[in-house]
Amino acid sequence: MRMSLAQRVLLTWLFTLLFLIMLVLKLDEKAPWNWFLIFIPVWIFDTILLVMLIVKMAGRCKSGYNHRNGPRHMKRKVWYFIAMLLKLAFCLALCAKLEQFTNMNLSYVFIPLWALLVGAMTELGYNVFFARRD
Amino acid sequence: MLFSLRELVQWLGFATFEIFVHVLALLVFSVLLALRVDELAPGLSWWNVFVPFFAADGLSTYFTTIVSVRLFQDGEKRLAVLRLFWILTILSLKFVFEMLLCQKLVEQTRELWFGLIMSPVFILLQLLMIRACRVN
Repeated sequence: MRMSLAQRVLLTWLFTLLFLIMLVLKLDEKAPWNWFLIFIPVWIFDTILLVMLIVKMAGRCKSGYNHRNGPRHMKRKVWYFIAMLLKLAFCLALCAKLEQFTNMNLSYVFIPLWALLVGAMTELGYNVFFARRD
Repeated sequence: MLFSLRELVQWLGFATFEIFVHVLALLVFSVLLALRVDELAPGLSWWNVFVPFFAADGLSTYFTTIVSVRLFQDGEKRLAVLRLFWILTILSLKFVFEMLLCQKLVEQTRELWFGLIMSPVFILLQLLMIRACRVN
């Protein structure tokens, strides 16, 4: 079962809105909560995405699935999975830094984000400069 | 991932190249931010840290103007005006948010509270939701 575009947009919109409201409350010192609690909408959203991705990948590995274009699709799914893990690692490191659990530099916190952005730019760059031209 | 690139282009109204420019701006911004916060570049002001975002906004505006003029010349007047109007709205809201955030970081005034700084982002979210309903 595939979610429609409206459902996916609504899901993204709802969790983004919730996160931004909680972020504003925290930054304006109206809510004395832990940074890990402020990021709850992000954790829930990421969990939903990861579960959806794992279910899709498992579906492709099942016997009886039409494997035409299989390796290319699988590679893309693996990249999405790694991208999600990088995003999760960045958010966790950022929360740990903001809560002062660790004394590491911000540069180290940003390493997963940089890896994610470089990957995203490679994919976008491929689509802009090398993909079909008609 | 959740959206294909085609769906994103359709929803946001930006071309793939513009998305590429904004992602690049985010990457450069995050590097400058890390340098500023870790005090690895002492002469770096907050305005300099935000330069990649301002440059991306400027480039995107230029690109949109060119595309709209071309569309207008090709007779697609309605599409040209709609595209120009939509992109300029999005970019101006983004620009106002960046300016306010930068000013807050520079001056640290209490009058400029984060609810106010984030208000363009909240408006942007509502606009994107409305557009998603139209695109769908």
